[in-house]
Amino acid sequence: MTDEMLRAPAEVKYAEELDWLESVDDGPKPFSWRLSPRMVRLFVLGSERSDGLDREISQKWFGDRSFVERSIVTLASDRGLLLIGDPGTGKSWLAELLSAAICRNSTMVVQGTAGTTEDHIKYSWNVSMVIAKGQSRESMIPSPIMTAMEQGTIGRFEELTRSTSDVQDALISILSEKYVSIPELDADNIVFAKPGFSIIATANSRDRGVNDLSSALKRRFNFVRIPVVTSKRSEEEIVKFRTTELLRRHRIDLDVPPTLLDILLQSFADLRAAAASATSDDEKLESALSTAEQIGVLEDAILHSQFFGDRTLRAETLAGSLVGSLARRSPEDLAILNKFWHGVIEPRSKQDDGAPWQAFLEGGRQALGTLS
Amino acid sequence: MSEATLPGPFGALRGQLLDAAAAFAGDGPGGADPVPGILAGMVDDVDRALREELEIFPVCHHSPASALAMTRRLREKRPTVIYLELCEDLRPLLDELRNCRLPVALQAFATELDDFPATWAPLSVVAPVTEASAEYQAIAYALETPGVELVLVDRSTDHVFQWEPRTPAEPATGDGPEGDGEEAALHGDAVGIEIGDLRPRFAELEAHLLHHGKVRHWSEWWDQYVEQPLVGADYATYRQVMVMIGSLFRRLRPARDARNDRDEDRERYMWTRMREHLAASGADPARCLYVCGAFHAASRVEQFGLRAQAPFEITPRTATRWQYGLIPSSHSAIEAQFGLAPGSVSIAAATWAKAVKRSGVTPFRLKGQEGKPKASRARRPSDPDGPVADRLSGFLSQPPAPDGLDEEELLGWCVDIVRLARRNGYLASTADAIAVFETSILLANLRGRRRPTPYDFQDAAVTCIEKDTVPGRRDVRRLCEILLGGDRVGQVGYESLPPLARDVLDRLEPLGLDLTRRTIQRALLDLGADPGLRPCSDLLWVLRRLLPDDAVRPIMGSRRLGERPIQESWDLAIGRHQRSIVELGYEGVTIEQVLEQRLRRAVADPKATAAVALEAVEDAILYLGGGRVADDLGARAVALLAAERTVDDAPDVLRRIRRLLAHYRATGPALPEWCERFVTAGYAHYCTLLPTAFVDEDTGVRQVAAMLGFLFGMEGLALSLGCDHSQLELAVRQSHPEAPAKVALLWATQTQLGLLALDALRSRYDDLLANPLVVPSIPLYLSGFVQALEPAPSLAPVIVEVMSKAFARLPDPVLLPWLPRLITTLREQAPELVPVLVREAGRVFPASLPAVDAWVPPWFARPSATVPPPIPTSAGAVADLVAGHPAACDAVAGLLGQDAGWRAATGGAGQDQVTALLAGHGDTGHAVAALVTR
Repeated sequence: MTDEMLRAPAEVKYAEELDWLESVDDGPKPFSWRLSPRMVRLFVLGSERSDGLDREISQKWFGDRSFVERSIVTLASDRGLLLIGDPGTGKSWLAELLSAAICRNSTMVVQGTAGTTEDHIKYSWNVSMVIAKGQSRESMIPSPIMTAMEQGTIGRFEELTRSTSDVQDALISILSEKYVSIPELDADNIVFAKPGFSIIATANSRDRGVNDLSSALKRRFNFVRIPVVTSKRSEEEIVKFRTTELLRRHRIDLDVPPTLLDILLQSFADLRAAAASATSDDEKLESALSTAEQIGVLEDAILHSQFFGDRTLRAETLAGSLVGSLARRSPEDLAILNKFWHGVIEPRSKQDDGAPWQAFLEGGRQALGTLS
Repeated sequence: MSEATLPGPFGALRGQLLDAAAAFAGDGPGGADPVPGILAGMVDDVDRALREELEIFPVCHHSPASALAMTRRLREKRPTVIYLELCEDLRPLLDELRNCRLPVALQAFATELDDFPATWAPLSVVAPVTEASAEYQAIAYALETPGVELVLVDRSTDHVFQWEPRTPAEPATGDGPEGDGEEAALHGDAVGIEIGDLRPRFAELEAHLLHHGKVRHWSEWWDQYVEQPLVGADYATYRQVMVMIGSLFRRLRPARDARNDRDEDRERYMWTRMREHLAASGADPARCLYVCGAFHAASRVEQFGLRAQAPFEITPRTATRWQYGLIPSSHSAIEAQFGLAPGSVSIAAATWAKAVKRSGVTPFRLKGQEGKPKASRARRPSDPDGPVADRLSGFLSQPPAPDGLDEEELLGWCVDIVRLARRNGYLASTADAIAVFETSILLANLRGRRRPTPYDFQDAAVTCIEKDTVPGRRDVRRLCEILLGGDRVGQVGYESLPPLARDVLDRLEPLGLDLTRRTIQRALLDLGADPGLRPCSDLLWVLRRLLPDDAVRPIMGSRRLGERPIQESWDLAIGRHQRSIVELGYEGVTIEQVLEQRLRRAVADPKATAAVALEAVEDAILYLGGGRVADDLGARAVALLAAERTVDDAPDVLRRIRRLLAHYRATGPALPEWCERFVTAGYAHYCTLLPTAFVDEDTGVRQVAAMLGFLFGMEGLALSLGCDHSQLELAVRQSHPEAPAKVALLWATQTQLGLLALDALRSRYDDLLANPLVVPSIPLYLSGFVQALEPAPSLAPVIVEVMSKAFARLPDPVLLPWLPRLITTLREQAPELVPVLVREAGRVFPASLPAVDAWVPPWFARPSATVPPPIPTSAGAVADLVAGHPAACDAVAGLLGQDAGWRAATGGAGQDQVTALLAGHGDTGHAVAALVTR
């Protein structure tokens, strides 16, 4: 089944792992959860030898253990879960994994945009059916959230803060009363949430202040703040994990040399340090320099090498991708990259072990020259 | 493989562990397996430590379980000698602890080093003491029980540095984030020592333990896996488990490591000292107790044990002069110093209080210690002394006895945190308290704990309450720390303070403030109404000079030469900066002595300059009343000035000496001798350096202007003291600058000296303006002219003229870029010159707008003829006399270089009228003559 989808949802992709975990899980399960909280944690964070399992469960989300634990217990409690963090910190991926582990369905998603209306959160009507048969449960189109309520599963709301405040507030009654009333119907006009229903919302901390959450809604969510990964080791793990997945998805057989991975991680670390010491927005790149961005750069370089290169990932290509991905504003970003290239990469390439950096330096210079 | 038949109480356990090791080895890859050795070795270490004749009490720092076990053991055994793992030279300080509020730190401090690299100075060692620690229990017991001797056996603080590698080491890193805030910085940059350091010696082991223990930091791991199970354990179990953990960390450590060598040397040192003491005092080893870290209890050095014979040579101390004192400490300072997780020491203190309450043990306490004594309910039945029995097997094979959920406590925390959060601006409600309660329990279950630990509670509170991070607002994690005990800051009692600190407090008593409090207090000094407060004011100014910026801060009032405030207002935070005052106490007996020493040290420094010395003189006058100190420092300033080869500091020197001269002239009948010498030496010195400074590219025009300012400004005094004006004139003649600014300065100087006529100066400048090749550099000339105001303020009209011409004639592309620079330069370098310039400009330029149209600059209105107008000559007795002896006049004129020729005296019309008037009123003339001659 996964072969037929460009990107299979977590519950499909890890179906076999989830089946196995469910078969060995003897812990207490809240509501209608398919796995106990400990098994959910195990599924997300992977297994250790000390867990005493017969098979290994791979780690799927990389980050502090306590974030996952706090998220799981929030879902087991009365409140909704709001994952908040910079773009590219893995909020949506964590939300997907949690939904897949808890209810084997991570597709009940509402995407928050400026155009999201209350109908997208509650329900809307199939107009032609209403004309033909009148308003009834049949002619009603339930939203993913309402479907999750009916099924007692997890509903997801992506980018909550992109939708307007009045639309967000439609969630208040769903989260506190746990039902949605349909005043258009005379009978059967209330949809009650079944046990196990909860909401995982994600919000981008960079959107802060655009559509702030009302206090009433804030109160109904527990906030788990996910920071940008700064540990080089875990970042390496994440980039490797995601890149392998992407390569598999694209059916590309190509090796990422460890030195190039190092160069990429180090460059991002340097750029982050530079951004942290910048005093104004003009002195820092527009990009958030998240781990996802690194994966994007690497993916871009891999695809470029695969289709336009000699099927070997080279430092020049990586440099070109990095410049291409990060130079969003002209001239600000280009100027910063130019300064970075000559102030940081160039000295590095002149060091004793700077051979791979030399090619990276050249590639970057060329890319900057083309863009300037 | 079973070796259950091995002798000793631990034979069975050893066999069991070896079997387990064999089973593991079967799974893994082949090769030599160190596991059996480590496991069996751990059991052997425990066995060995327990069989030792001298009872070894293993402890861990900040462990309530250790403290509790210690209290019980002391009550039961009542030892007569206690050997403690603490620097032996700190012993006298322990008696002072009774005057303090814990936590405080014992400090050894040295500034005068011997045999240590000078870059290490000042050396500072701190050993913090908290109430929830085993060592405090031992100290309190020993000091409060008559006949008990407390012997510190660890190396002296001198040895701490003797054993340090001389090469700069990598900075130590702890896993806890660096503490911030002033409480965390209470220890300064001292080297920390603590009793019972028990932590894995390499990062991988710690990371492994944390990972598999599913905890975030070491304190949490320790609390969950050792502390909680041991709090209620009996003494035998406690002792065996602690030694076993010490042995585990000892065996799993990097093989060759300088730190290991030091640890082993310390063990040799301690055992040698104990044997020496026992031999000297003849004490019964059975009535002694050796308190050391669990790591050292599992020692395998050959000197271990009373029966050991292996010698160990203790090196003598260096001649470094060590000073000892107590400084306040705090939980957060301890956490920051030893890399513990924030809040862990506070949580340990809370656990201790709870454990004391529950166990009914009465802890030992020093009499006179501030704070209320802990109540106790009942005595726990004592553990009988008996043969060693294996308690390890039970501990290792069974989970700790269930310590059910303390629902009441958790509920209390939940309600309190919500209240605290609300008070700190969070929108928290009762619903949040419920959510925190529920989430804590769920988290504890998820983490496999029977009841939520403070760390679970903290996580739950953050999850449920913290929605936004607002800069400046306390985050929920911090609020939880406050709730669970909060940071406690210790205080050193008055009696334990060094004489200097006591003197400061005594002398500030007239202010009527409680200066031991840690809050900022406002002191108002009305010196006019109450002159008795003047000594307080003087002291506060000295403290202001010596202490960190925010310790004493003047809100109103200032102390400068020539000023005498009548009212002052101060913000005092002396209680918060007790450490700084205590450390000042190591330098001297009174605060004035410390300041004097510092001033003398500053001017004796090889890098000191004349400006530094003059500043020291100024400080001596301001804070110490001048006198002999100021004279000594001034004498040093003279020597420094004469030896200086650069004039970089000339502006500073000029400013300061001017101020000092003004002060001395205003306050005394005569200048001090050093001032006179300074002026004459300066005059000669700057005259010598002037030609070089004019051409030297590295010397700025401001410096040269300041030199000239000194030469012209002090010339009167210098000449009166025997200097020669020709020296200056020659120096100016020898100067041939090339830089435009300095050329302009030189012209101005020559004009001031009369070497260049004013008109010649004007014409030179006009030539410059007329030369299109020079125009771009005119602003530089102007800069030089502006600087010339410093040495020659009388040239102000000319400088206004010069500048006005520049503004009128310079093209905009040259003028405009220079204007901002002119303004910033004036503001930064010569703020005192601006009023002179502005006043002069105000005099020259018309004051009203209509007047501007008709205004002709005075320099254009000046007649172009250079021939001086004829001097009116008049006939009369004088004219007749001069005309009668022309030879004398011609000789004088020739001497002066003038040859204007002779003109006939003309008696003009006016002259006749005057003569007629006087002849007509002879009486008046006579009356005036009589009046004048009377």
